[in-house]
Formats: sequence, C-alpha cells, structure tokens
Amino acid sequence: MSIQTTAPNRASQAGQWAAGILITVLLVAIVSALPLLPWQKLEPVTRFFGEHPLLNALIKAVLVATVIALQCLFLIWLERKFAGWMQARLGPMHVGWKGTLQTLADALKLLTKEDVIPAQADRALFALAPYLVFVASMLTFMVLPFSLTWVGYDYNLGALFALSISTVGALGILAAGWGANNKYSLLGGVRAVAQLLSYEIPMILVVLSVVTLADTLSLTRIVQQQAGLWNIAAYPLLLIPGFLIYFACALAEVNRAPFDLPEAESELVSGFHTEYSGMRFAIFFLAEFANNFFTAGFAVVLFFGGWQGPILPPVVWFTIKTLLLIILMMWVRWTLPRLRIDQMMGFCWKLLVPLALALFCATAVYLVR
Amino acid sequence: MTTTRPKQSAVRDFFSGFASFFRGMGVTAVNLVARRKITVQYPYERVKVSPRYRGLFYLPYDEEAKRLKCTGCTLCEQACPTNVISMEKLGAGKHGGVSEFTMDLGRCMFCNLCIEACPFEAIYMGPAYELASYDRNASVFRITDLAQGGAAAVETNIRTITDALAEEAAAKAAKAALAAEKPARQRPASPETAIAKAGETPA
Amino acid sequence: MTLTTTEISSPGMTLNMGPQHPSTHGVLRLVVELDGEVIHSCRPVIGYLHRGLEKMMEARPYRQNVPFTDRLDYLASLNCNLAMAQAIERIGNVTVPERAQYIRVLLCELNRIASHLVFLGTFATDLGATTVFLYSFREREKVLDLLEAMTGARLTYNWIRAGGVAADLPEGFAEGVRAFLEEFRVALDENDRLLTGNRIFRARCEGVGVIPREMAIAYGASGPVARGSGIPYDIRRVAPYDVYDRMEFDVPVFSEGDCLARYCVRIEEMRQSARIILQCLRELPEGETTTKLPKIFKPPPGEAYSRTESPRGEFSVYLVSDGSPNPVRVHIRTPSFVHLGLLPALLPGVKVADVIAILGSLDTVLGEVDR
Repeated sequence: MSIQTTAPNRASQAGQWAAGILITVLLVAIVSALPLLPWQKLEPVTRFFGEHPLLNALIKAVLVATVIALQCLFLIWLERKFAGWMQARLGPMHVGWKGTLQTLADALKLLTKEDVIPAQADRALFALAPYLVFVASMLTFMVLPFSLTWVGYDYNLGALFALSISTVGALGILAAGWGANNKYSLLGGVRAVAQLLSYEIPMILVVLSVVTLADTLSLTRIVQQQAGLWNIAAYPLLLIPGFLIYFACALAEVNRAPFDLPEAESELVSGFHTEYSGMRFAIFFLAEFANNFFTAGFAVVLFFGGWQGPILPPVVWFTIKTLLLIILMMWVRWTLPRLRIDQMMGFCWKLLVPLALALFCATAVYLVR
Repeated sequence: MTTTRPKQSAVRDFFSGFASFFRGMGVTAVNLVARRKITVQYPYERVKVSPRYRGLFYLPYDEEAKRLKCTGCTLCEQACPTNVISMEKLGAGKHGGVSEFTMDLGRCMFCNLCIEACPFEAIYMGPAYELASYDRNASVFRITDLAQGGAAAVETNIRTITDALAEEAAAKAAKAALAAEKPARQRPASPETAIAKAGETPA
Repeated sequence: MTLTTTEISSPGMTLNMGPQHPSTHGVLRLVVELDGEVIHSCRPVIGYLHRGLEKMMEARPYRQNVPFTDRLDYLASLNCNLAMAQAIERIGNVTVPERAQYIRVLLCELNRIASHLVFLGTFATDLGATTVFLYSFREREKVLDLLEAMTGARLTYNWIRAGGVAADLPEGFAEGVRAFLEEFRVALDENDRLLTGNRIFRARCEGVGVIPREMAIAYGASGPVARGSGIPYDIRRVAPYDVYDRMEFDVPVFSEGDCLARYCVRIEEMRQSARIILQCLRELPEGETTTKLPKIFKPPPGEAYSRTESPRGEFSVYLVSDGSPNPVRVHIRTPSFVHLGLLPALLPGVKVADVIAILGSLDTVLGEVDR
C-alpha cells in the first residue's frame, strides 16, 4: 500500500514549530519564576483565607475540582491515544497538536447537546444521579495525599473514609437506573451496583491488610512509613498477591474491562447511563475517570510509596506513579475480553474473597509471630 | 483432524489462565512499541490506488484523430445491468460519435462490464473515487465531465465528427451529382418491325 | 415509576434485538422472550436487506447477472461469482482453461482469508476485545490491496465469470501474495497468544451454544458450523470443483460444537487456505484465462446446480434456462439463511449475554440471507 501525501505546507509547519517552542519556553519561564514572585505581600490574604474555615474549604474544594477536571482532560486524551497506539493506529490527531484539544472539543459538544429527560422518568432522581456519583468520586480526593502538605484534609481515618465514600457512588448508579424509566437501564444499574458492592469486599480486606501492617488508617502516615522501602517491597509475599487482588477490584470498581458489562456497547442492555445525554452524561464520564485516578492513587499510596522518591518534587512522583498505574489499567482494558455477569460474580465471591480472607489471616499471623 | 481440549486441574487452570493474560498483554505491548501505525490521515494523505482501480469513468481522446474514440455503438449501454449509460449519437458507422454521453452514477455498480464490452477502447475507469455529493443530480456525469480533455475536447470532437460526417455527406453528394450529370436515359424509337409495330396503338 | 414488582419478575418479557446492531452482523431482528436472564423463545425476523436479486436476474442476460452475485455474500463475493459462473458453465457446457481454474482457486482462498478475518474481528469485538478487531483488519487490508491490484475493487469484485476469469494476474502479484502470507503466519500466531489462549475468552466461548451433531445435520448446517460439531463435510473434498482435487490441505473438524469449536475451525481454515494459495502459485500453468463466450449467450434449455464451499458454508446456485439469453429462474441457496433457522431451536435456555457470542459464532451475512 503506497501513500501519496499532499505537499507539506512548509510555512504552516514552521509556524507550528515556532509556536510550540514559544509555548514551552513561556511555560518553563513561568514555572521557574513562580518561587521568585513576592508571595510575602500576599501574606494577609493567605492568612485570612487560611484561617477562615468556610472560605478555606471553598478554595480547597475549587482546587480539587480543578485538579480533577484537568486530569480528566488529560486522561481521556491519553486513553484514546494509548488505545490507538496499541491498535496500530494513531488516535485523535486533528484537534490541537496531536489531538490534545480533542477532549475539550468533546466536552463542548456535550455541552451543546439537547437535554433529554424521558417522558415518565422520575425527574428528581434522574437529575440527581450523575451528581451523586460525581460527588462521591470527588469526595475521595479529600483524603488522597499528593504530598505531605498537598492533601485536602489530613484525616487520621483516611483509608476508612475513602472506602466508605466511594461506595456512595453505587447509590447514584441505582438512582440513574431507576430514574430513567427504562427496564434495561434498571437491569444495567442493578448489575452495576451488584458488581460494585461485591468487589468492595476483597478490596476492603486487602486495604485492611495494609492498614494492619502499617498500624494506622491515616494515608499520610502510611506513606511516611514507606520512606525507606515501598510497602510492596517490604512485605512482598503478602502484598504482591494483595496488590493483584486490589488491582482486579479496582478495575471492577471503575467498570473497566474485563469487568465493563454494565457499560458495554455491544451487549444487549446498554447500561444505566443509556438515557443520559449531553452534560449529564459528561458528569458520569468525568466521575468515572476521577474514580479511575483515585483508585490508582490509592494503590500508589498503599503499595508503592505514595510521594516518596528522590530528586523530583513529591507531587511529581505521586503523579508519575499514578499515571503508570493508570496506563497499566488501560493496557489491561484493551487486551482482555469481557466477563459475563455470572462469571464476574463467581470470580469475586469464589476466588477473590477467599484469597483476600486468606491474605488477611496471613497478615495477622505475620504480625503476631 | 478432530481435536478435543485437554482437561486441566483447577490450580493448573488458574495459573495457566493468569499466564494467558500476561501473554496477551505482551502481544499488545509489542504492537504498542514495535509495530508501525497504519493510519493514513485522510485528507492530508491519500492511499495510492492500483492501476486497475475501478473509479470514475473517463472517455479517452485520440490526439491524432482529434476526436474521442467513442463511435456511439451503444455496446456499453446494452452491457450495463442497471441502465447507467445513455447517449446521443452523432452520425453512424466508423466516423460516427456521440454528442452527449450521460452516466447516472447513482445507479452504477462499478462492475466494469461496460469497459469490457467496448471494442474501441473508448471508455475506461480511472482512479478518482471521491464522488460523494450533496445533490443527487451531481452524480449524473455528462460528456464534458467524462471526456479526457473536458469541454474543449468535446467541442473538438463534435467539430471533427461533424466535419468528417459532412465530408462523407459531401462525398456522397458529389457522387450523386456525378451520377446526375449523366444525361437522362432517353428511350430510342422502337424498331420498324411488324412485332414492334403491333404494340403501337392505332393512329 | 410505572413498573410493579410482578411486572419485573413475570415471564415473557419481549425483547427486540432490533435491526440495528452494535456488532456488524447486518440488519437482523431477533425477537426474544426473556424469562429473567434466560431466553424462553426466539424468532428471527429477516428481510430488511431484501433487494429481489433473484427476480432481477431473470430480466437480464447471464453476463449481467454476475455483478449481482457480488452483493449476496459481500464478504466472500468471489465465491458467489464462482458459484454462478459454475452453474452457467454447467448449463452451457463451457470448459474452463486450467490456468483460469488455478486463478479461481487462488482468489477464492484469498477471499476466504479475508472473510474469516472479518469474523475474527467482529467476534472478538462482541466479546469485548476490541484490539483484535484492529489487528485482523490490518491483515485484511493487505488482502484487499492484493485483490484490488488484481481486480480493481475491494469488496465487490465481479471477476470470476462463466468461462474463466476476467483478466490475468497483474505483475508482482505472486510476490505480493507470498510476502503477505509470511506476515500473516506471524499475525495468526500472535492472535493465538492474544485471544485463543485467553482464559476469559475461553470462559465466554467454551460450552456456549453447543450444537449437537444430530441437530446440525437435521437443520442443514454446513461449513464451519457443521465442522465445529464434528461433521467432517467439506464440499472441496466431497464434490471438488476447479482444481481442489489436486490441492493438499487438511479440513479442520472439532467435535465439541460450541462457539470455541467454530472459532477454532475458522482460524485453522485460514492456515489451510494459506497452504492452498502457496500450492496454486507454485503449480500455476501458462495458458488462457478464459473461454470466450458468444456475445449473445443462449445456453441450451436445462437446469444446473453448482455447489461451492464458501467461508460460511455451502453456497449453491440453481439455474434454469429455456434457451433464451436470460435465465428463467435463479435460486441461490445460502448458508447463512439456513443457519439462522438454527436459532429458534438453539437459543431457548441460553442466557442473554451468550446470544451475542452464539450469533457471532454462526457468522451470518445478511446480504445472503435476504438476497
């Protein structure tokens, strides 16, 4: 197969290179100049916002939402590019440089879509459901430590809080399935919730094992204890199977292949977000990717040393490790086929739960020896 | 060759199943890193089609004879399964041609039968495949769209053919005139014989 | 909400797997009655792609009917051309030169590979492994490029005619085919590592949609559907046409009758097709590529039935002639039509999520179901 290309537009190519170099130089200049700015002048302002409880929370919430939005933007682009490269194709290339603005274009498209609510739908539940799911995902970020100081609220029961709040999302999914007045949405929602709740059990057991080994529920303390050696290297026999179990549960929590029957396109029942379009659907989608980032970040905190690492700033280390785990999740998604619902349930209850229980017992035995 | 699958113990099955995931992920990793990406970014890049590609039709133009090769024999029109071709003939015989050659590509199957039917190599399928349009009428191609050389070629073609036909007609007329110049047949008087006279009417 | 608990749990919830499918099986409508998760009864509704081809063929001379056969099983259109051409040859007592026969076998086997690659891609996508779709279509693109170099078209070739083939092989074709087959072998092995050995794939296909041997025979299954149920029937062996009797190849037969067996039959068939193609290239004789038919072809009155082994099964053409340039009746016996008849007997008792796998493993093409 021979390809003929239209003659390259040298002027536009040169222009693109120049723009790229200019932007990079500008970014580097800004980031290097940031510490040199006279932040001391802003001291009264920061003190006011820092000490005022409500405004402090508001600013932190806005920051967290911004971080989530930005990383969703990036992750969706990365997912499409990564899937493309694995499948011998290029992924989005047209909008923005190498398709980087594609997610923005999709978001704009979703914003301009007509807001359709089915005729006999339960309007309150229908409207509430996406926000329930999104709020649950967002709240988990409150306790996720990006570094020692970059944490929403350094909760001493962080692990417990994160696990319980992420389950609230199941409520939103059930509301979506019921509120759409569609038998198939209901079935899809019910299956999704069954999957979510079932896979919580092995996840909680593995997290319990790590918490028991670290003797604290606080996520920042767990990371601080990994200063010399990551948890997975410190207790390999326990935590390597533990991580694998956690990884499978994380995939199921985020409805990713091979556990994506609730949202599979080629299956019969299209899932709980069939009737959603436009911005409501975008919220579901954002929530899914936020959840994705959270479960990966949680694994990094529990097993891979959180923000610990030489030379680079802690936030950068955390982001790199989380991104690597997310790439692993994507890799698994685009390789494996889908499990059927009964096979999925069997896998959880007949394989993962006994293994997680055994792991927990082994941890207890290890600690008591 | 009949094969059945071997039965494995549950533990063996678990580990081999797990290993199969890693093998699969290895395949996708190899494709991620080591294989060429085959995307052709249309419309900035286009795939070159093969020489025999069956795309938009064209009617070849004979430079020496200054006319389209098409003589209007309608063999292609008869060969088409879906009545795509219609034409207006200009004269007949080997000096003949077409003044209008219309192909309704909305009906065309691109099956190549018309090309195979033509004895004068006067219609071919070329490499153009971007034939989509917003208007159904735009898929009706006239002779000026199809002729190699466009409207100018069509004009020259018509001129050449009409000239040739006129020449032919003139030659025929000249022959007829030549024949007309000969004196008309005059019936000579019948001979002075009794039998011949017998037919004459009495005075 | 308007649903009551009794309504949710009552049997007989009718589900319409409507004419538009997310998976590329064509415009087939399956009306199923569900009893919870299990199917109670199933009724396939076809005809959405009916174009009246058999009737249209009665109004046109034989030469003009060949392009219509392309549109029947459009994934294996050279095979359909061949069936029609053979029927015409049988009625008209036309002999096909040897070189043309070898070229026909070569083209049909290439088309078999292309068709099975589509099956592979769509079957994997139905089960969730989208990456395999891209890989199999990458290989199929190479086959389509080869066939385009030969015929000028990528899907509806109209190249195998009564009397032979339309034209000879282009330059560089043999080298191109050999190069493709080298890469193809690697790709098939890669696919085995990625999909066939995958535990999840096996769990989705093993034991699903079992067609017992007797049922397959009773319902007239042919091709990979029959050979996946242990029936060693291949028309290329039983009633060889063209030069198949000189070709050395194995016919894969698996006895389990489930989706995995049918899948394995098709994968193995692709390997055997590669063998046949290499043999054709080696043994290709010189000579004519077609017997010329008269311009107005009027075969003697009679009827003929030609059988071919298409990638889907037994594809046959029944032709009746009364001495006129147009056929009196053309009937086309297509494998997908017969296999769809299996569904009402096969699906009851099966879970909803398995329907997609079973439908995919039958590999139906609606063009040849509806004609």
